[in-house]
Amino acid sequence: MEPVTRSERLTAAAGKQVQRVRDFVTDTDPAALVVVTVIAVSLLAAFVGFLAVSNLTILPFAVFLAATGYGWVRHQEETALVLTLTMTVSTLLILGLIIVFIFRESVPVLQYESATVFGVSVPGLRMFVQSNWDAVSEPIRYSMVPMIHGTVMVTVVATAVAGPLGVAAALFLSEIAPDIVREFVKPGVEILAGIPSIVYGFIGFTILSPWASDQFRTTGQGSYLFVGIVVGLMALPTVVSVAEDALSSVPESMKSGSLAVGTTDWQTMTSITLPAAFSGVSAAVLLGVGRAIGETMAATVMLRGVPRLTDPLVNVFYGQETLTSLIARNYGEADGFQMDALFVAGVILFVTVLVISIGAQYIEWRMRSKLGGGA
Amino acid sequence: MSDDSDRNSRVSRRTFIATTGTVGIAGLAGCGGQSGGGGSGGESGGDSGATATDSGMDGEGSQSGSSSDGQNASLLTAEGSSTVYPISNTGSSYWNSNAPPSDGEYWGSNSESTVPGWEQLGEPDMLIADYFASKFGFEPTEQRSSPPFPTTVGLSHSGTGCEAVTDGLVDIGNSSGPITAELDWSEEQAQSTVVDNVVGRDGQPVVVSSDVIDAGITELTGEQVRAIYQDEITNWNQIDGVDYDQEIYAIGRAEGSGTDTAFRLNMLGDANASMSGVDTRFGQNQQVAQAVSQNEGAIAYMALAFTSESVVPVGIDFDGTLYEPDRDAEHTIFDSDYPLNRDLHMYTLIEEDNPNGGGYDAREAAFINMFLNEFGQTIFVEGNNYIPLPTSDLRSMKEQVSALATEDLIMP
Repeated sequence: MEPVTRSERLTAAAGKQVQRVRDFVTDTDPAALVVVTVIAVSLLAAFVGFLAVSNLTILPFAVFLAATGYGWVRHQEETALVLTLTMTVSTLLILGLIIVFIFRESVPVLQYESATVFGVSVPGLRMFVQSNWDAVSEPIRYSMVPMIHGTVMVTVVATAVAGPLGVAAALFLSEIAPDIVREFVKPGVEILAGIPSIVYGFIGFTILSPWASDQFRTTGQGSYLFVGIVVGLMALPTVVSVAEDALSSVPESMKSGSLAVGTTDWQTMTSITLPAAFSGVSAAVLLGVGRAIGETMAATVMLRGVPRLTDPLVNVFYGQETLTSLIARNYGEADGFQMDALFVAGVILFVTVLVISIGAQYIEWRMRSKLGGGA
Repeated sequence: MSDDSDRNSRVSRRTFIATTGTVGIAGLAGCGGQSGGGGSGGESGGDSGATATDSGMDGEGSQSGSSSDGQNASLLTAEGSSTVYPISNTGSSYWNSNAPPSDGEYWGSNSESTVPGWEQLGEPDMLIADYFASKFGFEPTEQRSSPPFPTTVGLSHSGTGCEAVTDGLVDIGNSSGPITAELDWSEEQAQSTVVDNVVGRDGQPVVVSSDVIDAGITELTGEQVRAIYQDEITNWNQIDGVDYDQEIYAIGRAEGSGTDTAFRLNMLGDANASMSGVDTRFGQNQQVAQAVSQNEGAIAYMALAFTSESVVPVGIDFDGTLYEPDRDAEHTIFDSDYPLNRDLHMYTLIEEDNPNGGGYDAREAAFINMFLNEFGQTIFVEGNNYIPLPTSDLRSMKEQVSALATEDLIMP
């Protein structure tokens, strides 16, 4: 067999796609083909009009609606095909536009915050190599370091709260608790996820933070520790729910096999159920981490809103600012570079979440290939 | 009556309502005629007619007005600064609604509530706009939603408001800065062209938590406040003569907001001054008040309306002048020259066709007078989180408008 090169494979794949389209064209009734083309072209025109902020955008959009209506009645099959395709494309398109927008908005401040390394000017580098944020008084600096530090602190504390608690609760619910308890507790945990974050934040601001400030003798209120605990509690339902699903989808035969060779329940849990469901459980924890990173409201009302590093770095008893709370607190008053710096915080959040979700996918893929299609 | 309805059951419902409506208006007109008759005699028929049909607001209404006292009852217009707008516009809304004294919430008193300053006004048995307008010779309409003359407030900028009042486009020009600065005028030009009516102040008193007050700190110098916010003083016991070992929790406002900039400019000396001593920042007055009340050793600056027993304003000593939180003191934190304050102006134009060629016509004086008493200051100024005028300023403003009053004004 000849070794197939990458380009040949690509050409073959492209050829296959062209063939599919050609088949579709030959197989389809010309009238339906016309309708489908009108739908696609008018939607494309509407999109171009939208980007150009044209008043005439409504015209192609009306044509699109009319053609879709007509097509739905006369050629439902082809119309549905095109509609589902365009919906998918537009989801990706919207995502793409958002990414382009936040990156574009952050460009000016990245240029302002250029730093020179080995004679090369690197845009945005100064935001990450020094830790001073001051949008008003000289020197004006928009360092992201304090916010990244804050986000990391909150996330670490939140994960330390939500991870062990969540996995333990999921184990109990899925393996130990009697059915009747599980029937009641699981929906209860899911309802917990529906409590709006401002409620947690409000309790944190009025009760937890002043109490913590008294107990730990800090100057004023607002600490990463308690924001982390609150955010961890908020992430807990997600972790419990997803981890429980993963644990209970481990086949009963695997557990029975283990028990049959004489292990105890606990040994089965730790050496069979948990490893088998590991990808699901880690996905659960990662989802919780994602929630902790993205949590805005509770962090905004509980933190101090003064971007600076705590001293020493691991001091969790003072809480300054996270990436999300920076945006939430300042979007109303910010302008110029300060506004652009908020977009930079958005970009960092975006990249972080992207990395986490790719990481979760990767863990899942590794586990699947290793365990041969576990949960 | 039953006879009537039997007969009307054949007529359409609309005709019925229209008919009874006419009867009602006729009845009202009769009542108005009687009560008006007590006041100004023969012309009162026309007056009440205008009220009942509601159509002659500008035409017939002003004629009947002019017949009584040469009064112009056309629409009073105001325009300008967004900072003064809340005060001016709330006042205008109250005025146009012309609420009766039985309302309790917006004007007057009933078993459930009483408006602030009601007692001081002598509990008049008149509708709100009727009462304030009657002080300047207007006939009461005695009907709600129908003030002796209507008012409207536009929203633009301080400079635009000053220009509009100078050009005679509006009656009142709202401005948050002095007209000398807005239009680059000399002091003499301003004084010969417009009358400056200060209705309230915009500012941020410095407040501390109650434990700081208990430790005996009731006043600070401007220099001490600056040092606190610039991280030179971090513990209350670093202040001379204070024996209170407590770290200072310095609260600031959203970075780059108007409040933040004003504080840096007036307290720290420069709009871009460093605030390295600030421990936390909040966007809203409520959050600041809450944080001050639940933390020890706190200092903050915020709108006066949010002060309480646990959030206490302190006196500030600027260059030897002590501004006290007491409203009747010689120098108060409500004063115009307290560095954290700025006046909120409602300018009126000095015109030849005004009475005595003065700075007001009766409408302007009547409307502005509404703000110059405890009722107006509490509802319109404090209610919008601004600083009410201290007693002495209130009195001098009141004296300005009293030139046109046909009755004695109640002095604060």
